Amino acid sequence: MLEVKKLNAAYGKVHVLHDVSLHVKEQEIVSIIGANGAGKSTLMRNIMGIYHPKSGDILFHGESLSKLKTDQIVKKGIVYVPEGREVFADLSVEDNLEMGAFSRKYSAGKYRDLLEEMYTIYPRLKDRRKQLAGSLSGGEQQMLAIARGLMSEPEMIMFDEPSLGLAPVIVDEMFDVILRINKEKKLPVLLVEQNAFAALSISSRCYVLENGVVNAEGKSRKLMDSPDIKRAYLGG
Amino acid sequence: MVVQLLVSGIAMGFVYALVSIEYTLIWNSMGLLNFGHEKIIMLGAYIYAGTMIMDMGMGYISGIVGAVFLVAALGVVVAVGIFIPLRNMNRLCAIMATVMVGNIINEAVRLFYGPEAMTVKGFMNGMIRVGGLAIARAYIYIIGISLTIVILLEIFMKKTKTGKAMRCVASNKTAASLMGIDVRRNMAITTAISFAICCILGIAVIPVFSVSSTMATMISLKGFAAGVIGSFGSLPGAIVGGLILGIMENIAGMIFPSTFKDVVAFVFLIAVLLVKPTGLLGKKK
Repeated sequence: MLEVKKLNAAYGKVHVLHDVSLHVKEQEIVSIIGANGAGKSTLMRNIMGIYHPKSGDILFHGESLSKLKTDQIVKKGIVYVPEGREVFADLSVEDNLEMGAFSRKYSAGKYRDLLEEMYTIYPRLKDRRKQLAGSLSGGEQQMLAIARGLMSEPEMIMFDEPSLGLAPVIVDEMFDVILRINKEKKLPVLLVEQNAFAALSISSRCYVLENGVVNAEGKSRKLMDSPDIKRAYLGG
Repeated sequence: MVVQLLVSGIAMGFVYALVSIEYTLIWNSMGLLNFGHEKIIMLGAYIYAGTMIMDMGMGYISGIVGAVFLVAALGVVVAVGIFIPLRNMNRLCAIMATVMVGNIINEAVRLFYGPEAMTVKGFMNGMIRVGGLAIARAYIYIIGISLTIVILLEIFMKKTKTGKAMRCVASNKTAASLMGIDVRRNMAITTAISFAICCILGIAVIPVFSVSSTMATMISLKGFAAGVIGSFGSLPGAIVGGLILGIMENIAGMIFPSTFKDVVAFVFLIAVLLVKPTGLLGKKK
């Protein structure tokens, strides 16, 4: 479905990604783990067209994305829930959700159904739908960012450090929702996480990114047992 | 006497508020201070008076529609050709560029319409008598037009998809593009709206200042001051700042000689900056 081929990319003047290749198939959850500064976010931002790669290609349904602008990529059906949520603080919760559907033209009925669906996944957002998004707690903002992403009925969804800065209880709840979205909507997920244990637990396959190079890849269960990964990322 | 001064103060206050809103829109959207806005206001007045009314003999209303449409279209051209490519540049270069755009428009107007000032005969002229008071009709029109624009703009920003997208672009450009918003297109629309407001402003002040190349110098400076006094970048702040400034300078004209009228506004601006730099409605940091 998504294929990244020999991607080389820079962040400013620093060459961050070196020949990174990966792919995501229908309905699977793929995670990317790696230390701070390994290039995980840069990779995501290149896929989304926020930065453009130096060389290599990004294919979605066999079609190249690397020359497209961000809003065009969103219209192709990829949604990116960015690091740090990035909700629109001065807009109400409901307006944030409406903006999530900006790229789609829904009928009024269809729009209402989707909104209701989001409120069933996250009842707390319904209670706060008239509040400004900036007044929500970190966990609620993360819920809003996820729901906002789902409003465009994407074909694939990418999460960038969704657990960052959240309380452990909320992190569990959030990963449950990601699993649920993946199962119920049959939506492929690409997940970037520093919390390697959580990422390996919910994903079927995993890539390990170190200093901009894919160092290991494979079934998440296998990687979890690998001594190198254990030592470097799982504290054992 | 006091009532007349209050009415003209409120009218000028709304003019300052609109100036402040017009450049706030561009500032919020692109992070660019459009120092050429004075000339856009003037251009609007010239296109209306010189082209629509005198050359083409259009009616007042159809002339306004025509002029606003033309200036808004110019806004799109300026946005796509100059403002959008410049917004990521060194801020000083970007500001110089907006000043130069203003100068180009200024010279173009002088070449095209000639150096003499002009007026539109009978446009928003006369007095309205309320009880024993005579109030210039122009001020009543200015208040009416400004209120309409403020209300329409508020509805547009709060209720329409494009308006909400404009607020998204103002608050977070990367996140806005992740929603599928075409940020550059949205910036071009914002500039067009800002230019349209400039044009309406220019037309509305024709009875007060008549049409000349320097007609908008003072109001654009004071409009800038109004924004800073209220709270920079906020629409309610612009209105509060504008009204305070407009009313204050008119009342001050009663107490001090009228030549000090303009000084009052700028002294007040400096006082606000010293006491509360974020503006009267601004949040403390």
